[in-house]
Amino acid sequence: MIRGWFAIAAALAMVSVAFVSGGIGAQTLARLTVDSFILSTDTATPKLEIPFHLIVRVHVRERVDSIDNLVLPILAELELRGDQRVIRSSPSGTDYTETITVVAHHTGNIAIAPATLQAIDARDGRAKQYSSNGLTITVAGGALDPLAGAEGVARRVWHWAVTIAIWGGGIIVVVALAALIFHHRPVRVPAPAQSPEPPAQPALPVSQRTRRDQLSDALTVLRAERNRGSAVRVRAAVWRMIGASEGETLADVLQRPDATDPRMSALLRSLERAAFTYDDDLAPAIDDACASLEAILS
Amino acid sequence: MRQLGSDPIVTEKSPAYLVNALAQTIVGQREVLDGLLLALLCNGHVLLEGPPGLAKTLACRSLAAALEGEFKRIQFTPDLLPSDIVGTRVFDQREGAFATVLGPIFANVVLADEINRAPAKVQSALLEAMQERQVTIGPQTHSLPDPFVVMATMNPLDSEGTYALPVAQMDRFLMKVNVGYPSPAEELQILDRFAVADTQPVRAVASLDDVKRWRAGAHAVHIDEKLKHYIVDLVARTRGARGISLRSDRGHAVDAGDLIDYGASPRATLALANLARARAFMDGRDFALPDDVRAVAPHALRHRIGFNYRITTEAVTPERAIEALVADVAAP
Repeated sequence: MIRGWFAIAAALAMVSVAFVSGGIGAQTLARLTVDSFILSTDTATPKLEIPFHLIVRVHVRERVDSIDNLVLPILAELELRGDQRVIRSSPSGTDYTETITVVAHHTGNIAIAPATLQAIDARDGRAKQYSSNGLTITVAGGALDPLAGAEGVARRVWHWAVTIAIWGGGIIVVVALAALIFHHRPVRVPAPAQSPEPPAQPALPVSQRTRRDQLSDALTVLRAERNRGSAVRVRAAVWRMIGASEGETLADVLQRPDATDPRMSALLRSLERAAFTYDDDLAPAIDDACASLEAILS
Repeated sequence: MRQLGSDPIVTEKSPAYLVNALAQTIVGQREVLDGLLLALLCNGHVLLEGPPGLAKTLACRSLAAALEGEFKRIQFTPDLLPSDIVGTRVFDQREGAFATVLGPIFANVVLADEINRAPAKVQSALLEAMQERQVTIGPQTHSLPDPFVVMATMNPLDSEGTYALPVAQMDRFLMKVNVGYPSPAEELQILDRFAVADTQPVRAVASLDDVKRWRAGAHAVHIDEKLKHYIVDLVARTRGARGISLRSDRGHAVDAGDLIDYGASPRATLALANLARARAFMDGRDFALPDDVRAVAPHALRHRIGFNYRITTEAVTPERAIEALVADVAAP
């Protein structure tokens, strides 16, 4: 159920991005002098099931009517509730602010990837991709927290009483068992030398998504938004997932150990085709990429 | 369309089939064969640099034979005249009139051997014909055959008595391919293959009309907008290479910007795009990829970048400098 919500949220986020950016497929980059590009939240400690805002702020020196080719991160772990865009021009340039209302459905850390903006840098005439800062938010218990609410004080007292009783009882039982064991302990023989205990594996953070989850998100995005921009974003996400860095080419990526699986290499190739083929071939290329994703997920 | 990344489908009358046919005669030198075919698909000319005896002439002759085209070889010498290349008018005593004798440049594949041995006047005559694809002899202008590809060779070892090609003329070559020595295994294969006869004839596997068809196909290959920006960025980086650090053979860091006097011209931008298209076509695709651009970049850039004396004093090879330049620009 929750996974379904995430999938819908991801799809909605993509549709929103397409609306904002006009689609990277248009490939018309504006000449901009980007002074600042910031991703922030309106609260340092968002609460479970309580809406909060993600805010993207861009300042450019030029006076423009719109900021195109702005790509928001895939908000797979947050539900999208709304989106507001404000653009203001002044003699010093243009301020673009996008406020996205989101809700978290689980507690713990949630990493939000940077937003990106593609434009031609007016300073040197070169096409560039600007990235904002990324965010990691920690979602705490909110309205669903059993200790919150009007009768919080009474429930809190009751909660502490029960907790102390459980802990106290537990300690007494442990001490009694220990006394019993030590009293009847057999004579010890030296144990053979043992190899040291392997270090405990760090627990996975709640928000860490498996590779399967990420590929599932990618499939949802590609199905929901069948255009060049989503193909390019999914390609970038899959490359990041297998550890490829920005600026590599397909030939480099196919050399990586994670890409040796025939199904993964087929996916990489189909995404490359979807990212660079001509417009008439885009739909079959996206079908091909979806089929490759389904083959991995099946 | 074939699966991206798999081996090209080799069918008769395809560029890959032609390369395979050439490879039956020429051992190794795959880069040279691919370069010749890329130039053919782009309607451009190739500069081959390498020591003597590396099958440069054989490759060009085999290419012409495989296409049922005409092959001519011109040995450039210091006493060569422009008329020795383009042709001249001679008086026909029987007819009592001047007749035009066309020069060896009227062929589909022309090998200009050791182009830097002839003075500037002769080089200019050849390069003008390469650019215009026609020559004027007396009052008449003659179109050169189509396809028309010039493969010029230069010997890097023996520079005494040579005339360096001017920058503007070098720029007219679509690409420059460095011809290297074969591997020991390839050299053994050469011994076996040529033990019986000097050369093994190449059978015709395609026609000149096929070449025209391939050329149209390569021209129609799609180049995405992101790729165009990548190409422009690559060429622009050759003009402002400061900040790219590379390691010299002596082990210290060198700034690439200190090694370059001038970068590549806009012709390099066009050459990169055309070569990337042709490579995609040879690979059986109708759209180009960043890998295509990266693969052809050294061929399109190496003769268009002006390295200064420091590349020698700092013990850095031009190839390594170009490699660093290409690696510095992030692919889309």
